[in-house]
Amino acid sequence: MSHAKPIATLRSATGIPTGRLAIWWVLASEVVIFGGLIGSYLLHRLGHPEWADAAAVTNTTIGAINTFVLLTSSFTAVLAHQAAEKGDGKTAAKYLLFTIGGALTFVCIKSYEWWSEISHGYTIASHTFWSFYYTMAGLHALHVIAGAIIMGVVALDAYRGRELHRVELIGIYWHFVDVVWIFLFPLLYIAK
Amino acid sequence: MADTAVAIDHESHADAHHGPTGILKYVWSTDHKIIAMQYLFTGMFMAVIGGFMAYVFRMQLAFPGISVPGYGQVSPGEYNSLITNHGSIMIFWVAMPVLIAAFGNFLIPLMIGADDMVFPRINRLSYQIFLLSALILLASLFVAGGGFGGAWTSYPPLSAVGEYNQTNIGATMWLIAVALEFVAFLLGGINFIVTLMNSRAPGMKAYDIPLTAWMIVLASVLFMLSVGPLIAGAAMLLFDQTLGTGFFDPARGGDPILWQHLFWFFGHPEVYVVLLPAIGFTIDITSTFARKKVFGYKIMLYTAVATAVLSFFVWAHHQFVAGIDPRMANVFTITTLLISVPVGELLFVMIATLYGGAIRLAVPMLWALSFIAEFLIGGVTGIFLGASGADIYFHDTYFVLAHFHYTFFPIAIIGTFAAFTYWFPKMFGKMLDERLGKIHFWGTIIPFNFIFIPLFMLGGIGQHRRIYNFEHFPELAEPWMYNLRAIATISLVIMLLFQLVFFLNVIKSWIGGEKAGNNPWKANTLEWSTVSPPPHGNWAPADLPKVYRGPYEYGHPDREEDYWPQNEPD
Amino acid sequence: MSEHHDVNYKKIYFTLLFLLVVSIIGPEIGIVWVTLVAAFGVAFVKAYLVIENFMHLRWEKRLMKWALGASLAVMMLMFFGVAPDVMRHDGRNWVNEAAIAAVERGVAGHDDGITEGPTEMAGVAEPGVFSPTVAFNQACAACHGQAGDGAGPAGAVLDPPPANFTDPAFWAERDEDRIFTVIRDGAAAVGGSPLMVPWRNTYNDEQIQQLAEYVLEFRPQE
Repeated sequence: MSHAKPIATLRSATGIPTGRLAIWWVLASEVVIFGGLIGSYLLHRLGHPEWADAAAVTNTTIGAINTFVLLTSSFTAVLAHQAAEKGDGKTAAKYLLFTIGGALTFVCIKSYEWWSEISHGYTIASHTFWSFYYTMAGLHALHVIAGAIIMGVVALDAYRGRELHRVELIGIYWHFVDVVWIFLFPLLYIAK
Repeated sequence: MADTAVAIDHESHADAHHGPTGILKYVWSTDHKIIAMQYLFTGMFMAVIGGFMAYVFRMQLAFPGISVPGYGQVSPGEYNSLITNHGSIMIFWVAMPVLIAAFGNFLIPLMIGADDMVFPRINRLSYQIFLLSALILLASLFVAGGGFGGAWTSYPPLSAVGEYNQTNIGATMWLIAVALEFVAFLLGGINFIVTLMNSRAPGMKAYDIPLTAWMIVLASVLFMLSVGPLIAGAAMLLFDQTLGTGFFDPARGGDPILWQHLFWFFGHPEVYVVLLPAIGFTIDITSTFARKKVFGYKIMLYTAVATAVLSFFVWAHHQFVAGIDPRMANVFTITTLLISVPVGELLFVMIATLYGGAIRLAVPMLWALSFIAEFLIGGVTGIFLGASGADIYFHDTYFVLAHFHYTFFPIAIIGTFAAFTYWFPKMFGKMLDERLGKIHFWGTIIPFNFIFIPLFMLGGIGQHRRIYNFEHFPELAEPWMYNLRAIATISLVIMLLFQLVFFLNVIKSWIGGEKAGNNPWKANTLEWSTVSPPPHGNWAPADLPKVYRGPYEYGHPDREEDYWPQNEPD
Repeated sequence: MSEHHDVNYKKIYFTLLFLLVVSIIGPEIGIVWVTLVAAFGVAFVKAYLVIENFMHLRWEKRLMKWALGASLAVMMLMFFGVAPDVMRHDGRNWVNEAAIAAVERGVAGHDDGITEGPTEMAGVAEPGVFSPTVAFNQACAACHGQAGDGAGPAGAVLDPPPANFTDPAFWAERDEDRIFTVIRDGAAAVGGSPLMVPWRNTYNDEQIQQLAEYVLEFRPQE
């Protein structure tokens, strides 16, 4: 069933297009959710110096590779946006596909990493550091997966030359997912 | 031939636009007005359940050991479940959906002259998630062990360990229901905020937006900014309950007080989230029925923003005796007492609006006036609780309970009835019966006071909360106390019975009431410029209103009429 | 649609990669402040670059910058408001003994990331089934103690103190029937203290019978 957009969606009293305005508000709410989780972790971590032993196990190399993957996927996402601005839906879709590929790579690497840690006994309940580790990275990974799925839908539309403005919107969301990881990486892998 | 082809084409286009027919049309609708009705009816249904729970546990308290008519004997575990779910239901599944989702959905596009919300399908999704959360909550009442019994504040370790709260499955279902409700309101909130910001009618500047719309959107922003840490906390609590993690277990590096902070960091702004819409309704209704401009539109707007901002700085007043750092208690006492200033200011503006007005005591106005009076009582009793010294005595007594019922009841119940009786003609195209409305009004307000004034008195002599049988505390089992409890309980029963008058009024008016025109109250805001009830799209696309002035131009000297609709050209 | 902005995305991307390398090498040096700057300082710079240039916040209306700033401010508020209670383990009038113990255990090297699960509970209840153990621990132990010795935390302030079921003298003139009566009707009904309240409105006769038998088990064997 095709759905006609209401006239309301096309108005813009603020000058910001409706979709972009909405994405910013989504990000604002995500900031407080992740911020709450990360803040809670920080509060505990700073009060429990002995967690360093439990945290020493995380694999910095894998974390770095994942950071590289996400940064590159952000790059391809912004290139997709550049193409969409020029009206080139097919190129935009191509770059979005690269971004989705980055997301899948990230999830695969993370799965391998987690499988390895769990089989060594570091489960979500084995130590509160690990509880936070899996919860934070897990919430982030859920956002990666959800973002990749939505991006797939946007890419399909873009390939057909439709709704090209959504390339920018899913890009903004994607960059946010990247920024969260930019902070998780030092927290969980470097300055543990 | 060509004509037939065109005709068929129109038909299939119309079908594609209107989708399924019959009852399914209402289930799958993306029209903001239908979604508003869905929220309204779900919320009212949950209110009946929450009210029934209150009836049951009040009967147990006033007449311990009694077999409550319609329920049976109340065991200690059941008592805990009843009070937990009563509180949770009333806040999350009654106040929020009715005040914000239902009236926000119905009114915001109409008040700003738009044909719908900016994201109708996300709107529908948010209701479906909300409905799911309500169903999960209701289902939790029937699982082994019964509904969650750890209080609506759900403090760990009681809420984290099934053996402690004795409602293992119910606890997890409750938590998931609450989390889903949060997601639904985040989605809905974004819709409201973006719609208000972007989709206003041509000519409608920021200060031409009716205060009801502003308040609901401010509430949505406040909700969105405060709920994040609690969603994180809910995930942590869920894992503690189900996966054996120790987020809130001090022996394993966690801290139960973290939950308290996360909960109340949201919990306090939450009460302002529900207060602001009620204030919006009240001021709009007051202005209409006093035939007078709002005393200070900008004052109200900026004061509401100040209240919302300040509400982030008072949360630990819920934790004065929880073992927080006493120096923090000093800070929070000051901020808590401070916040009474802007809230009081809002009430002052309402009273100033009344002064010198041509007041007409229609039923919506009765509700609006009673909101001011009752909320005032609730608010000033909050001052006692905000002072940490006094709170050492009052904490966890019925004084707290009476305080928050004297604030929540005006917000959730009086606010709802005010808005409902005011906008019923627009929603359903019929007028409500004034006489039945007045009977319902007095039958609600008078018993309400007789429920909670005794509870203030009992709280004053130290009666604790969350006790299922005061016979276990000889100092709290004196005959005069039981008399007060009986008065409160019987008043509750009377008040609940009077709600039948309301339902009677609604059904009678909906079926055969006097037809309402576009603008039965002679008000100015845009929703009154279209048909009652408004059609799909609210106005014909060519007739979408343009705005020429503010929303409260009543009694303007240049006019013959005492009102001046926003969309009337100069 | 936004206007075309003149941003060299490639340049930003390679800057980000360079910063990534810095943030990994920095902590290897081993000096604490270098580690912190390299790890977190770099993170802030990277985030700033992504937000301003990839998300185009630089060219966005001020309104949205304020909104996002508000959510960040709320996060700071939450962190600093909660820190005095959760980050610290003692204050002027309070001590979080369990947390301090956990820290000491960990620092002494007993924390390898794999610890035992939750501690033992006071009796596991099956929902819908009455368990005298659970009921005793819930309703009676506060005063009479889990060991039935009258040393429960709530009983410390009571006068007369709660009965000590492990004391032979208690059982000199009492039997199971008497226990049953006291539980059901309260001690005042048999001339004792009203502090022992009646439980007939909480438990039925069959349950009270089970509770009485449970209390009997505390009786020391001769």
